[in-house]
Amino acid sequence: MEAQRSFIGVVVKRGFQGIVAAVVMWLASRYLFHFPPVFQVMFVLYALLGTGVFILLDAPSLSPVSGIKAIALLVGFYVVVSLVFIAGASALPQYDPMVEKGKIEKIVKPKLAATEKGKIEELLKRTKELDAESQAILKRLETLGGEKAKRIEASIGGGASAGAAPRAGGGNLVALGKEQYELQECYNCHKIGGKGSVKKRGPVLDNIGNLMKTEEMKEKLLNPRAWMAEGFEKEYNKKLMPDKYKELMSDQEIDALVAYLSTLKDASVQTPKPVKKL
Amino acid sequence: MRGVLKIVLVVAGLLFIGTAVAYAQLPEPRAHEFPYLGNRGAVWVVAQLHILFAAFILGAPIFVVVSEILGWKNQDVRYERLAKEVTKVTVILYSMTALTGGLFIFVLLATYPQLTAWLINHFFAVFAVMYPLLFIFETIVLYLYWYTWDALQGPKKLRHIMLGVLLNIIGLATLIVIDGPTAFMNTPAKFAEGGMDLKTFIETTATLWDKMNNYSWWPLNIHRTVGNVVFGGFITGLIGAYLYLAAKNDEDRAFYDWFGFVGNLIGVGALLALPFAGYLLAYELCDYDASICPYMMADQLSMFFEMQGAMVGLIFLGSNYYIWLSMKRIEGLEQIRMKTTTLVLMASIPLVFMLIWTKFPIPDKFAFILPACWVALFVIAGRFLKWTVGAQTLVKVAFLMVIIGNAIWMTPHAFVATQALAPDDGSLSLPHGELSLGFVTISWGDLALMPAKNAAAFTLVFVTVVNYILYNRALRQGRITWGTIDFAAQFVLVFLAFSAIWTMTLMGAVRELTRKYFHVFNLLYDFTPESYTPTLAYSSWVFTGVTVTFYIIVSFAIVLTLRTGKEKAPAEAAKGVPAVAGAE
Repeated sequence: MEAQRSFIGVVVKRGFQGIVAAVVMWLASRYLFHFPPVFQVMFVLYALLGTGVFILLDAPSLSPVSGIKAIALLVGFYVVVSLVFIAGASALPQYDPMVEKGKIEKIVKPKLAATEKGKIEELLKRTKELDAESQAILKRLETLGGEKAKRIEASIGGGASAGAAPRAGGGNLVALGKEQYELQECYNCHKIGGKGSVKKRGPVLDNIGNLMKTEEMKEKLLNPRAWMAEGFEKEYNKKLMPDKYKELMSDQEIDALVAYLSTLKDASVQTPKPVKKL
Repeated sequence: MRGVLKIVLVVAGLLFIGTAVAYAQLPEPRAHEFPYLGNRGAVWVVAQLHILFAAFILGAPIFVVVSEILGWKNQDVRYERLAKEVTKVTVILYSMTALTGGLFIFVLLATYPQLTAWLINHFFAVFAVMYPLLFIFETIVLYLYWYTWDALQGPKKLRHIMLGVLLNIIGLATLIVIDGPTAFMNTPAKFAEGGMDLKTFIETTATLWDKMNNYSWWPLNIHRTVGNVVFGGFITGLIGAYLYLAAKNDEDRAFYDWFGFVGNLIGVGALLALPFAGYLLAYELCDYDASICPYMMADQLSMFFEMQGAMVGLIFLGSNYYIWLSMKRIEGLEQIRMKTTTLVLMASIPLVFMLIWTKFPIPDKFAFILPACWVALFVIAGRFLKWTVGAQTLVKVAFLMVIIGNAIWMTPHAFVATQALAPDDGSLSLPHGELSLGFVTISWGDLALMPAKNAAAFTLVFVTVVNYILYNRALRQGRITWGTIDFAAQFVLVFLAFSAIWTMTLMGAVRELTRKYFHVFNLLYDFTPESYTPTLAYSSWVFTGVTVTFYIIVSFAIVLTLRTGKEKAPAEAAKGVPAVAGAE
């Protein structure tokens, strides 16, 4: 009883200290350091975590239990820990897989189409689509012409006809290049229009169109070691631009990306000068 | 009879692998759709379960042999008993490793037949010869090790220990061999710069050695070996906790209290090296292809790393709390004191090391020299200054530093799923405002960068080392009664094992996901509709499901192997009576 009373005293004392610490941290992060609200919440949560830890440090010993009680306690503990972990992970910002699915489809689809399996799958898919279309047409004809439609169906063999026009290739080269910039996630290292990497892994590209010719840009993409932006000479590979694009991108995609980069001519943004290295 | 059953299970696992190798040779095998979980989910769950079992059976024998040697050299029967009881569990989990391994291969074949066939064809000697042979050798040696335990005692003990050493050598070789194809999928070997392209090289001229000896092979071997010891240690702690809860007398409680303590010590000891082994692996991945780095830490997986930070913080808090609970029952703790300089050094590390590593990024030579000088300065100052602080004060400051270190570790550039696309208005981003300390200026933005994370990791490690030094001092100078630890400590051990497994599944998923929409990075596209990055929320259900499944099986194995065939503790085993702490 005595221990319990003294622990309640500890909880009250530590709780009070924790609240004071949380308020101080919130005020400091908000008014002194001008942190955004989400970071203010983070500091408050850490103050509360600290409070919990310091209460636990002074907690009295737990009375031992055994048998069914111990098993029930253990199972309950697992359930709570599992739920806390899931809740913690779910509370963090979530990446939307739909965004990535769209990107991946654009990257992977042409590669799949280039394989034998892809060609067969594309043909099968197209056959299914045409079959569905012809069935729909026949259904409409049946409602309009009855027996006459069935005769038409028999005459065409009940299947799909060839000759659907291929889908038109889309857009201009610059738009395609911009799309490639997004698909290859160049923004993770570079910045254009103030958007992109915050960690300065690669140079800003706003004025790159004035600093490099198209063939030089192409050389840089195909062989990244050939050119290096001033101030970005790296001692270690881990920060160097990958040399995989010549293998992963088609000629047309590289041309499109170069066309897009060539349009970037904002001289007001300081863009590091590329220097020929090889 | 149980031994026969185990051998049947292992043989069944090997047969699975053999059949899989044969099946992979079929032309154009067809993929099947896995119900409910989907193909990726099915492979994910089965592969992760297999890796968890494998981690334990490879990690546990390392310290089992060490424990056996300690028991033999010091004539301390507790070490001998610990080694034997952990081996009992290892033997049954070994069968589960073989079974889940076979299941993994079958599920992989059914759901990704072309990829499996491709991998087996490229690593035929590994999958068809080396791995099965090593597995057979390991099975033979493990069962020999276990079944000769009682026969090889006394003057023959050294032979038994040598069997254990051989078991570890074969286990390590198995790990290294199978890590080859695993690492290859992340970082397929490239031809010398400027030479032929990756696809041509791999498909035409690359030898098996070229493919095995890829960028991330050795970092993965090191990371997994250390990780397996951590894992084995925490599972040993779990075994100790379960048996402590089930203990019927003081003698058993004393033994399992000590058992849990040793398990935690092994787990924490190896855990101290784990962040650095992890860095090495991440470093090599980024060195292989710089786009992996932002994908992991700034793009789609950035919040996975946020969660990792939280888990590492919880594990360090948990392990230090266990030390605290264990220390609290030592009589004479209040007389234990440490130099004030230790306290000041501990408190200074996050800020000072962050500034040093911002100015001189690792691996610059000053990144090592200056921190070493800083620590040396306090060690020398401690020789001259006589001020001391009590153990309890030091521990409390240590906890404060764990929380601060973890807060730094968890500070992202922005609270968004994709850091590079954080909104411009700064509503979710850390401001880049600066704070001047007169002689030095700190940018808040630096808190989100690697130097700050490294300083935070070092703080967690340093604090834990100091706590153990303190604990050791208390053990030597005070009196400890094994079996009287706070009951809550058993739940801390359970929590540590659960968190370690959960974190392992989390980081395993991260390593796999860095391949993005490739089965083999930059080489073999994944054309299935599931080649996207799953959300952290969805993944956390998978992590928890795998962890709980593993826990249920391990709990069953512990109860089955230890409670049903429980041996009487040797007479010399620790008694539940006070003893001079640290006395043999």
